[in-house]
Amino acid sequence: MFFHIVLERNMQLHPRHFGRNLRENLVSKLMKDVEGTCSGRHGFVVAITGIENVGKGLIRDGTGFVTFPVKYQCVVFRPFKGEILEAAVTMVNKMGFFAETGPVQIFVSNHLIPDDMEFQSGDMPNYTTSDGSVKIQKDSEVRLKIIGTRVDATEIV
Amino acid sequence: MSGEEEENAAELKIGEEFLKAKCLMNCEVALILEHKYEQLQQMSDDPMNQVSQVFEKSLQYVKRFSRYKNPDAVRQVREYQLAEFELCVLGNLCPETVEEAIAMVPSIKTKGRAHDDDAIERMLNDLSLIKKFE
Repeated sequence: MFFHIVLERNMQLHPRHFGRNLRENLVSKLMKDVEGTCSGRHGFVVAITGIENVGKGLIRDGTGFVTFPVKYQCVVFRPFKGEILEAAVTMVNKMGFFAETGPVQIFVSNHLIPDDMEFQSGDMPNYTTSDGSVKIQKDSEVRLKIIGTRVDATEIV
Repeated sequence: MSGEEEENAAELKIGEEFLKAKCLMNCEVALILEHKYEQLQQMSDDPMNQVSQVFEKSLQYVKRFSRYKNPDAVRQVREYQLAEFELCVLGNLCPETVEEAIAMVPSIKTKGRAHDDDAIERMLNDLSLIKKFE
């Protein structure tokens, strides 16, 4: 599920960036550092939408770098256990299929696919019902329920 | 991760931070991301290079799975007595019957907010009217 939340981060800036463009440099560094990252607590940071507040800078002892506490608004994607959502199938094999919801990858094991769907291998491997009415293959859209999440360094599976 | 074991969207156990946060439907996210993409296009010739894969994948996803084209229509949907999370799940999935809605968002029945079947049905009707006439 997508959320719009306020996060806070301490940004370190080298003195070469000071001057008229200090705030711009701070903001672009923030975007480069944070957009596209992922944490277990907040999920994926998809896009920063605005800066709420930039606090007073504090010079670090011994280095000359300055730390600014920045509060910013952003769109995050955080999947929850028990959540129901729609996904696009990316790969099908006999163990199950992979699907994507935005930046998150989902794996559905064949144990959790309805019993009346059988795996069919071939050029376009797929799961089909016995009467052929429903077919899950690459690029199909499926609706599924999340039963567990795992955070892996920089991604959520 | 602490609290991970108790997490359960079906019972609206998503942590206080997210319960209080603003939840976004796919159509709303599509607007935000497209706007940002246009801003980037104005600033440089090759915006695709500047955005992360996360941004690209999210944009593709929300464009594909948006249900409402008009964000103001969606604004009307937000006036019901539901938690933001529940509202967004319904807005994203557009259930047609009360049974479907309860299957998708079990917490609308269990949270003790006096949501009987009639109220849910009226809400679903309004949602589909909004979609039809947007």
